[in-house]
Amino acid sequence: MKSTLGKRLQLGTLILLYIFLYAPIVYIVYVSFQTNGVWPFPPDFTLEHYASLWHDEIYREGLKNSLIIGIGTAALASLLATMATIAILKYHVKGRMIMTGLFLSPLFIAHVIIGISSLMFNKNVLGLSGNIGSTILANATYATAFAFLVVLAQLARYDWRLDDAAMVFGATPKVVFKEITFPLIWSAIFGAFVVSFLLAFNNLEISFYNLGATPTLPTLAWGSLRHGVSQELYALAALINLVVFVFFGVLYAMLKSGLLKLDYKEA
Amino acid sequence: MGIVLELKNVSKNYGKVIAADNINIEVDQTEFFSLLGPSGSGKTTMLRIIAGLEEPNEGSQVIINGKDVTHAPPYQRGIGMVFQDFLLFPHKTVAENILFPLKMQGASQKEKDENLKWITHLTQLEGLENRYPYQLSGGQKQRVALARGLVSKPSLLLLDEPLANLDLELRKKMEIEIRRFQIELGIPFIYVTHNQQEALTMSDSIAIMNYGKMEQVGEKFSLYHDPDSQFVASFLGSADSIEAEVASVQDGIATMTFHGKTIQARAHNGLKAGDQAICYIKSERIRMEVEENPDAPCGVVLDKIFKGQYIDYILDIEEGNEIIASSGTLSQIKAKDRISISWDPQVADAFPLPPKDPS
Amino acid sequence: MNQKIFWRLSGPGALFLVIFLLVPLITILVFSFWRTESYTMIADWNLDNYIRLLTDKTYLTFLMRSLVMATVVSLVSLVFSWPIAFFIARYGGKYKIILLLLTSAPFLTGEVLRVTALQQILGPLGLINMTLNNFGIEPIEALMYSNTSSAIGLTYLWVPFMVLAIYLSLLNFDFDLLEVAKVNGAKSWSAFWEITWPLNKIGTAIGVVLVFVPTLASSITSKFLGGPNGALYGNILTNQFGSTGTWALGSAMGVVLFFVSILVLLVVWRLVGDLRRSGISIKGGARL
Ligand SMILES: Nc1ncnc2c1ncn2[C@@H]1O[C@H](COP(=O)(O)OP(=O)(O)O)[C@@H](O)[C@H]1O
Ligand SMILES: [Mg+2]
Repeated sequence: MKSTLGKRLQLGTLILLYIFLYAPIVYIVYVSFQTNGVWPFPPDFTLEHYASLWHDEIYREGLKNSLIIGIGTAALASLLATMATIAILKYHVKGRMIMTGLFLSPLFIAHVIIGISSLMFNKNVLGLSGNIGSTILANATYATAFAFLVVLAQLARYDWRLDDAAMVFGATPKVVFKEITFPLIWSAIFGAFVVSFLLAFNNLEISFYNLGATPTLPTLAWGSLRHGVSQELYALAALINLVVFVFFGVLYAMLKSGLLKLDYKEA
Repeated sequence: MGIVLELKNVSKNYGKVIAADNINIEVDQTEFFSLLGPSGSGKTTMLRIIAGLEEPNEGSQVIINGKDVTHAPPYQRGIGMVFQDFLLFPHKTVAENILFPLKMQGASQKEKDENLKWITHLTQLEGLENRYPYQLSGGQKQRVALARGLVSKPSLLLLDEPLANLDLELRKKMEIEIRRFQIELGIPFIYVTHNQQEALTMSDSIAIMNYGKMEQVGEKFSLYHDPDSQFVASFLGSADSIEAEVASVQDGIATMTFHGKTIQARAHNGLKAGDQAICYIKSERIRMEVEENPDAPCGVVLDKIFKGQYIDYILDIEEGNEIIASSGTLSQIKAKDRISISWDPQVADAFPLPPKDPS
Repeated sequence: MNQKIFWRLSGPGALFLVIFLLVPLITILVFSFWRTESYTMIADWNLDNYIRLLTDKTYLTFLMRSLVMATVVSLVSLVFSWPIAFFIARYGGKYKIILLLLTSAPFLTGEVLRVTALQQILGPLGLINMTLNNFGIEPIEALMYSNTSSAIGLTYLWVPFMVLAIYLSLLNFDFDLLEVAKVNGAKSWSAFWEITWPLNKIGTAIGVVLVFVPTLASSITSKFLGGPNGALYGNILTNQFGSTGTWALGSAMGVVLFFVSILVLLVVWRLVGDLRRSGISIKGGARL
């Protein structure tokens, strides 16, 4: 049948993309175990980069800052985006279209522009040097737009009359959110959080212009380029990917067993 | 018997659309009250206003048990509701759905257990407590929605087309059950439907809605037989219509000429001699005679349709007026027969033309 | 009442965007009319920066190269993203979220690391060409320090955005419509063109812009993969904020980049065509 051919082609493209996306990462993991990072063939396995990663304060500091930026950005972005989405989808009032446009607009502005404009603003208008706070705020602008897109697309199907029903049965607006709305939309919010974290955690262009000497993973990588990327960073990236795949494994197991349900069948 | 719900001058518009136009209703403690009207006539809006989900225009008043709740939020009104499309919470089990109102009231576990037992028994949902909504059939979802509406023994239950999504057989069964619940609980039900059969079967009183206006309210028998408005006369039952010219009006009865024949009906809306009139007669009220009566409208039987409990005769009267006559008894009349028709003037209703029937 | 809740919920985010996005943007717009002298901004209003950008051929060349690059990368990403997003949305079942996140998780490894790894795979001394060399095959020139390898790198970086946008759009697509179309005699392809595509045009347009804009502004990828003739607009833009310290000119370049992006957005919007016939199709009715 024709549709199965189409399906196979689609699956093929997906697998091809995964190979394409993960080839450099596999390479990074491989090199992290090699003595020679420039031409690591034939293989000469070593754990020395992991050992020096462990002993070097700067990488821990970078990881910590990247995590703070990632989590701070993701929390701020998904909160603002979720609130705005609920406003736009639930209340059919004036201003919805303009709001939608405003919240999507950062998607159309290059990160480097956001980076330099917040640098210029902080430095030349406010007279402040950049810090983690301003980095989070600058990252949160485009992250809010991504989060908004994610939440908007998923909540478009939400039936807000469920909230009405709960309210008639005695739930105050706060209780409605806790009992009905949140349990039904948390996966959309979580998706928005994950996407904004992914974007902010390793964002170079904004962090670079906003953070002077404060190290983050991408600025460390950028800084180490002069002498070729230090292999400790490869080792750290390998560890991060290990965590990511453990996360995917857990997620898979939970979805498979039904322990975690991301969408409920329509009532 | 106390009045439980009172609406005074309730209006609501959405921009230019008038969804409720100066509505006044009183609903009694034991009343089964139906809001009947075509789709878009403002029935749902009415219920949402009563529930507090929609704010009516300035000057409207909603009074429940003597208390003005016009500006009270829904969660302070203590009413139950059964929604169009059920609106069960998809992430909660049947028991959790049903007990939601009690949970909101902070009821004790014992109270919840007792009430769950009582209501699942009443609605025949025993054994389904731990299922999720998607694991239920349409009829079962319906019962869960009803159980959730009733479990907290509200002072009033609102039902918005609760049977619209069910098949005919189930609907007939539920009609009777819903009526039984109402009698058992002794609280008023306000039942919204566009299906007049449903309204007629279950209700004590019916309010007929059209374009946000309440056309007529009353006990169902009088509504059916004594329509006040052209809309009600044409909407309720299966009504035939005939256009005729009024010759005279006397003692409330209009005498009209229809293709040279004389017909009679009750006169409404100041109908007077010389007016063009539209005359509504319920199908089951039309009598047919095989011998042609030169004074009565005559015509030919186009078709005879057997409907089980009755037979529909499709008639062509005075060339070009299609009329349906229903009869509960088998007769000799068959297709192509020439017949004449007549009716009791007290069961036909004539209104001036225009205005035309809005449909 | 509802209006009040609407503002209360959307206001904070709107205010946030105005303060932290719009105001800084206005700042660089203002600075673009100033002058920089020994690493300080001087409020000496002039059009020199823009005149220089529009008359000096180098800037225009770089801008054109970036535009071509962004167009190519967007189109390639588009062709790849559709089947992928369609597969995940339609057949992903309860594992959709994992399949999707797998396309985005590489972001955690960072642009610099991934691009340098790509460089080591694609470059003249890279994995691919060395392997070919071992088998006595000529190395593939196009893969080595060229605009092609920049394009590969940029597609690599931004294709997940396009997949995400199309996937999100397809989430609201009622796949049953395809069955209806097929029952009515449509072949798979015409069902796609008649139903799926028009109903997901906006999502696709957003995806295109999500790839186009960062590619247009990119600098890192071309630095590592582009070779001697591979410098892009983003490279000279970032230079102004680096060693040269010509912030005013850099601001003007940022402003130009911004307006070019907006122009592209408008073009894409026009290409999307009649909006009333596209948009989201949702079971039970759209609410936007
Ligand atoms: N939220 C709303 N915004 C605008 N118009 C509405 C809204 N709700 C209902 N209406 C309009 O009000 C009228 C009555 O609607 P409704 O009460 O739903 O009718 P019914 O339940 O009798 O079918 C319709 O014309 C409908 O289009
Ligand atoms: Mg309705």
